[in-house]
Amino acid sequence: MPVRILIADDEAMSRRLLQKTLERAGYQVCTAENGRQAADILCSLDGPKLALLDWMMPLLNGPGVCREVRKAKEQSYIYMVLLTSKEAKEDIVAGLESGADDYLVKPFDTAELKARLRTGLRILDLEDRLVEAREDMRFKASHDTLTTLWNRGVILELMGQELSRSHRENATTVVVLCDLDHFKAVNDSFGHLVGDEVLRETAKRLLASVRSYDFVGRYGGEEFLVVLNNCDPAFAFARAEEIRNTIAQRPVKTSGGPVSVTISLGLLLSHEWATRSVEELLHEADKALYGAKEAGRNCVKLAKPKAAASVSEYRVREPVKQRR
Amino acid sequence: MKEAEQASPCQIFDRGELLARVENDCELLGDIITIFKEDFPSHLHDLREAVKARDGKSVAIAAHTLKGMLSNLAAAQAASSVARLEQMGCQGDSQGFDEAFAAFEDDASKVIPLLEACMAEECR
Repeated sequence: MPVRILIADDEAMSRRLLQKTLERAGYQVCTAENGRQAADILCSLDGPKLALLDWMMPLLNGPGVCREVRKAKEQSYIYMVLLTSKEAKEDIVAGLESGADDYLVKPFDTAELKARLRTGLRILDLEDRLVEAREDMRFKASHDTLTTLWNRGVILELMGQELSRSHRENATTVVVLCDLDHFKAVNDSFGHLVGDEVLRETAKRLLASVRSYDFVGRYGGEEFLVVLNNCDPAFAFARAEEIRNTIAQRPVKTSGGPVSVTISLGLLLSHEWATRSVEELLHEADKALYGAKEAGRNCVKLAKPKAAASVSEYRVREPVKQRR
Repeated sequence: MKEAEQASPCQIFDRGELLARVENDCELLGDIITIFKEDFPSHLHDLREAVKARDGKSVAIAAHTLKGMLSNLAAAQAASSVARLEQMGCQGDSQGFDEAFAAFEDDASKVIPLLEACMAEECR
């Protein structure tokens, strides 16, 4: 895909010359006839990331454009080259101080122009790679590496936020704590690689079984936490059953052959528990999950509230013990 | 002007430099010569009026534009004489305006025929 570049020059002949030269070099060119227009284009959401700016232009000069762009743009870098017939040292310093990355003396030499723009492209490429690396690190900090679901810290944060919101709005958040049944036996019989494949497929099926605005996270080894936002309590049990069924209905295809797995679920409806802490609610969901295990596994059990002291807000504390 | 003081065509206009700038592209050469022929009279008019008004700032602005155009066309001598006017305008030195403008007009008048000849020869 061709790189987009802005040419800003009030003089038509110079614009045409630059445009044709750069188009021939493979750039996609847009033009501006004054500095104001140039600044607006560069500050727009989808503006070009490379610019050649004449120093002297009506409404706003080249250094003025650089200052405005540097002030406005913090997310993505724009590489700007000033075109100038000013060769005095103080002018060049002033141009670079305004935020320009480079300058070219007019009349430009075609080979030098292209070489300097290639330098700009290298800087922009470096920035792209840094942004990509930062985004990758952000993803890794918030997601479980194996399943790409939210990790434990994030799913608990999200659960806390949802519980607070549903309390404010007098709605219900449904919390489902899930645990694969006899997962140790899968690892023992088929090996850990197959075990990982089962976990990945389970994550995929869990995600497919909820709405786009619900949350699914990996809570522990083979434990998953599902947060169903603003869920009608009348349908909560049916939703949990759907989740259970989506795991049990067909074996997981793995490199070691098909593996049949089931899942047990502890279900909790937030409106039945007043403003209990995340930790307390998870403890209750965990007890319900234990009940499901006791009842023979591959089933859903609802957490039943008893009288409990309320706290002012939902807080994420150290989660309940690792289980099963 | 005496014969000995007259500039050679090469000093007035460097054909090789211009052709290198347009990368031997006849279409582009034609485009920029056309733009120059269309725009030059109005910029010259602006400069003449600014000189008449002894308006240093306007002289500098109009002269700067013409300098850029002529430099792009590799018309070094006319670019240099209009650069002198730009400098005088920046410094507010209006005493030499008339003489410098006349010299520039003379230099500039030689450019267009040479450009047209270049166009005719290179893009036959």
